[in-house]
Amino acid sequence: MRVAILGAGPGGYVAAIRASQLGAEVTVIEENEVGGTCLNKGCIPTKTLIASAELLHRARNAKDFGLEFNGTIAPNIQKILERKDRVVSTQVKGIRSLFKSWGIRCLDGKGFIISPKRIRVTLKDGSIKEVETDRIIIATGSRPANIPTFPFDGVNILSSDDALMLDKIPASILIIGAGVIGCEFAFIFKEFGSDVTMVEMLPHAVSTEDEEISMLLERELKKKKIKLLTNIRVEGVDLKDGIVSARLSDGKIIEAEKVLVSIGRAINSDNIGIEDLGVKKGSKGEILVDRSMRTNIEGIYAIGDVVGGLMLAHLASREGIVAAENAMGSRSEINYDVVPSTIFTSPEIASVGLRERDAIDRDIKIKIGRFQFRALGKAHAMGEIVGLIKLIADKETGRLLGAHIIGPHASDLIHETALAVENGLTAKEIARTIHAHPTLSEGIMEAAEDLHGYAIHAPKK
Amino acid sequence: MNPEDIRYHKEHTWAKLSGNRVTVGITDYAQESLGDIVYIDAPELEMDVEAGTELTQIESTKATSPVISPVSGTIIEFNEELTESPEIINEDPYGKGWIAVIEVEDDSEYNDLMDVTEYERYLEEEVKLK
Repeated sequence: MRVAILGAGPGGYVAAIRASQLGAEVTVIEENEVGGTCLNKGCIPTKTLIASAELLHRARNAKDFGLEFNGTIAPNIQKILERKDRVVSTQVKGIRSLFKSWGIRCLDGKGFIISPKRIRVTLKDGSIKEVETDRIIIATGSRPANIPTFPFDGVNILSSDDALMLDKIPASILIIGAGVIGCEFAFIFKEFGSDVTMVEMLPHAVSTEDEEISMLLERELKKKKIKLLTNIRVEGVDLKDGIVSARLSDGKIIEAEKVLVSIGRAINSDNIGIEDLGVKKGSKGEILVDRSMRTNIEGIYAIGDVVGGLMLAHLASREGIVAAENAMGSRSEINYDVVPSTIFTSPEIASVGLRERDAIDRDIKIKIGRFQFRALGKAHAMGEIVGLIKLIADKETGRLLGAHIIGPHASDLIHETALAVENGLTAKEIARTIHAHPTLSEGIMEAAEDLHGYAIHAPKK
Repeated sequence: MNPEDIRYHKEHTWAKLSGNRVTVGITDYAQESLGDIVYIDAPELEMDVEAGTELTQIESTKATSPVISPVSGTIIEFNEELTESPEIINEDPYGKGWIAVIEVEDDSEYNDLMDVTEYERYLEEEVKLK
């Protein structure tokens, strides 16, 4: 069986490896660099910047830990970006060597689907190569959404791609959109010394999260002196003498040296040949697929950001595995109910499953358990006491339906709860599992106990 | 010592009336049970608040807790000094550690609050025995 994959991001490269493991002869076609947005312009580069920002923050507060620095500490953006590039290039090489080890052919060029059996590839040197195949997996991803009212110019009006390449820390930055990307950049720029203002048209920052979590994050933004304006739209921006003024829907004007536009991502489903083949797309250009990742055309699958919905690297990877398995003849389906997500703000946010408002919307009777990180000895020892663990369980059965964490290492802590939600475990089952002391994970056990009113390290209610 | 010229709410906040303005803070018992206060949220000014509901939130090293408003009215002032130095609440809960000023319609709610003798009896009989 021959499988051709368009795009080598976290969806495409994972699909390639799984298909190869199942015995396929695999060709991957990548226009930019393997690893896609996640590795080159998203998850990984932002996390290297966050690592620098966090270390800077800790160094600045070292005296709280009894450490004395003689001298100053300051971010050097060139060096920080060099480190980012080194990390990315190591990971890129890692994927390329995995391809080699599994005998996967990688063509660096742009693919165009001529038929379900054939892809025309325009290679980087301009030459054309045609690839014959039996199955096609489309994994072309997404890009920062460009809005006509404030189009990216790469100098003053930036996309998240541009923000990862700034050679100077701006004195001030206006971030349009307080979602995941906007909030992560807000903390980075603030720590590096920029004056940061965020404008969000919805009532809350990170509005995809449980409202309690959003509100706690908003308080942390306030503590860091990051300004957040909610329920406000940016009507337009004007550029004059290198300063951008943004006109807001409440009539106010905000001036900043740079503007980062992070209001969503556009789907890369154009110019890959699928219209002529009759592959069905939705209103935003997303390719329509079933739970087996099949499009309406036999032999063509689609995965990752290009199918819309939650744009998460790890979801794309799972979809890639599902598509590869189905392409190779086994039956496999994706489950969208249990998808953990993480936001690398300070503190981190992570969640899985049902939010409180989902339960209300769907009329599900629930019980909620909460536990604050500041009641944990480990959190105090680490000097990171801000945060909350909120568990949502079915009122009748006690089965865990959702978990919402804001606090230190939330992105690591979430997986215990994801395992519980995926497997229908109850809060009691979590509570009676001994959790090691002193750890942050004790908070999960305590929140599970709290669901029935038995948290040990919480005062009587 | 709990002052005699102010009134007390059962959620351990105090109120001091002056004209149509009520200054609000948390009691000595509240600051003692919270422990070291590390942050207090600035409430939104010009917002209306109901007696018995959350005025703002306070963070200590032990817990995050709501500050319950003893009276209904409009929040007209917040003690800005607490933003930088929330520990003032621990040091002087009835003085420099005041939290907000609420403008009230009349003094009826205020008059219904406990006086110092009633509050101290309440602490003795109900709270500490819990």
